[in-house]
Amino acid sequence: MAEQSTLASPPYDTISSLHFSPTTPNHLLVSSWDATVRLYDTATTEQTQVQKSKFDHRAAVLDCCFSADGKLAYSAGLDNTVRAMDLTSEKLSNLGLHNQAVSSILYSQSTNSVVTGSWDRSLKVWDPRTNASHSTYNTRERVYHLASPSSTSPSTISTGQGSNAHMIVVAQASRLFDIYDLRKMDKPVYERESSLKFMTRSLACMANGDGFAIGSVEGRIAVEYFDPNSATQEKKYAFKCHRQAIDNVDHVWPVNALAFHPIYNTFASGGSDGALSVWDHEVKKRLRQYPKYSSPISALSFNVDGSKLAVAVGYTWDDGKDGASKAEQPAIFIRDVGDGVKPKGWA
Amino acid sequence: MAKKKNKQVIRPWCWYCEREFEDEKVLMQHQKAKHFKCNLCPRRLNTAGGLAVHIQQVHKLEPESLPRIENALPGRDGYEVEIFGMEGIPAPDVADYKRRKEIELGLTPGSISQPPAKRAKTENKALTEDELLAQLAAHKALMGQNEPAPASGDASSSSAVYGAPAQAYAAPPAPAASPPIPPPGFFGAGSPMQGMPGQPPFPPFGGMQPMGGMMPPISGMSPPPPGMMGPPGGFPPGGYPPNGFPPPGAFPPFGPGGPMTPGFPPGMRPPFPPPPFAPGGGPPVPPSFVPASASPGNVPSASPSAQMPPSQPQTPLQSAAPPTIAVLTIPVPALAQINPEFKKPTALKYSEPNFSPEEVRSTDAQYQVGAGDENKKKRARAEDYL
Repeated sequence: MAEQSTLASPPYDTISSLHFSPTTPNHLLVSSWDATVRLYDTATTEQTQVQKSKFDHRAAVLDCCFSADGKLAYSAGLDNTVRAMDLTSEKLSNLGLHNQAVSSILYSQSTNSVVTGSWDRSLKVWDPRTNASHSTYNTRERVYHLASPSSTSPSTISTGQGSNAHMIVVAQASRLFDIYDLRKMDKPVYERESSLKFMTRSLACMANGDGFAIGSVEGRIAVEYFDPNSATQEKKYAFKCHRQAIDNVDHVWPVNALAFHPIYNTFASGGSDGALSVWDHEVKKRLRQYPKYSSPISALSFNVDGSKLAVAVGYTWDDGKDGASKAEQPAIFIRDVGDGVKPKGWA
Repeated sequence: MAKKKNKQVIRPWCWYCEREFEDEKVLMQHQKAKHFKCNLCPRRLNTAGGLAVHIQQVHKLEPESLPRIENALPGRDGYEVEIFGMEGIPAPDVADYKRRKEIELGLTPGSISQPPAKRAKTENKALTEDELLAQLAAHKALMGQNEPAPASGDASSSSAVYGAPAQAYAAPPAPAASPPIPPPGFFGAGSPMQGMPGQPPFPPFGGMQPMGGMMPPISGMSPPPPGMMGPPGGFPPGGYPPNGFPPPGAFPPFGPGGPMTPGFPPGMRPPFPPPPFAPGGGPPVPPSFVPASASPGNVPSASPSAQMPPSQPQTPLQSAAPPTIAVLTIPVPALAQINPEFKKPTALKYSEPNFSPEEVRSTDAQYQVGAGDENKKKRARAEDYL
């Protein structure tokens, strides 16, 4: 059996994000710049892989997420609109609007609410059960990414691990970070600045809820922790990756995607260089490096049981419009990760 | 202009994705790169069979777990058919493709397969009104737009002069007698009609005449002049802010980007390189632009051009001044970032410190919210005709 399979009929344009279902290990939700959100069944044999449903949007879709039961999904896009999608009936409905493009969306399983972040420098929290009811919170800068431990690993909540399940990390422009508690959103719990000197490009929360990892455009990843006490903060660190020395010149690519493994708590990183690596942040070691893809990796997602990793490959606009004409068609690869992502000495 | 002789001869096309190519060499390169590439190693093979054998022998995969052919249309992603360039394409598929191509080009059935000598004859014969109407209907369906039907009188009156729309698309028509046109003063001197002969009869010429005075401003305001649009179904006039137009008859002294020769005839090759009006001062943002109004129905002045088959070769004008709409600004100037210096020589692949690639990307014309619907239409084409 191949370690990797290519998903049939991928979107036509770069994949902005992809997420495996929290309930069905094979269901993969994919949002793309071609203004669609698609749901695939990534079954083991390629013959049985199917695109289950497709939702056409008015503009490029920048992010998407599943609801807790995996029956609904939500999308955020360039047309400022937050939408809800019924995956069984293929019905699309509007939740509401931001003033500018909505860059990220997140379903919090701890409060059953949808959180969106926008380039209009605000967060909105939606109650998806009652359409159009939401509250708005201004942020310091344009919101680029959102992450919460509860969306990395739903089990964080069921096992009651820590109080961090309600936390939301809000990565913003100008290298800012705010960490909010979903139960009291009026002001951030922590206001931080990135320890990386370059623009934040990716963000993911640990499965155990202790902290998160961020990637910058300058081939570097930082591992940070929520707990403000100095002993914990000591543990935070950053390292270089997704770079290559060619003729004494360091070529440095953005780290476009990060994803934590829901069980082992290791994480995968994907860069514009097409490299895919798996890291164990506890021992600060790289566990695995996969053969490079021919195009940048734009998004990554582990499935709920941690057996598969979806890798979206496609042009990420690093070279602007010029690069777009030369770019390859986007593709989605499904990897069986096996033990490659297990930390050494895992019981 | 008069170079596209090969149009009616079917061009090489790829069986896997139905793309057209200039010649078979390019087609083979395409197939190697897109369809016969091994995704487990960098190797590219010449045929599907070659790829299958390679994957089985080099990567030790069982025949039943072979990955499908990449980037192929549904149903054409198998290894059973041995394709090499244009060779090996199943006959039914060739026939089917030709038929669709004929519909797309608005040709009479069977004309593609005819030898070139005969084809010329078909071209020159004046089409009957019925044929014209049928072609118009087919063309409209293709464009996916619902323009108002032209008055039949117009169609018949100009058909004798102009020949079929299909011809306009497929081959340059015989030079026509001077048709009714707006006073030459509106066009650049010298070539009053260079952009016009390709126009089909059905966007009634009579109907366009009153707007003749407006044509030059359009070509000045908007990058692709009518008649130079991309493929059918390409950018409908929606891309141009209708409200940004001056009222008919009005004659703007300047294009959006700065002064330019007034009355640039649509489709005429500029005597100088296109950029004169592209740079200048800032992106042209028509103040009254409303994306919602970008539907073709709202653009009476430009809608005939949407029906126009692209008779002109595309010139760089097309890309000269894309309708840039959004401009990125730093909302909190105090927080503006500057990338720190590197200690050693470094090639940073994304060096913009203040805007993410997504933000930059969102300003591209292709992703404008209004453009989304048209993009979709454009994209849908490949599948629509399966």
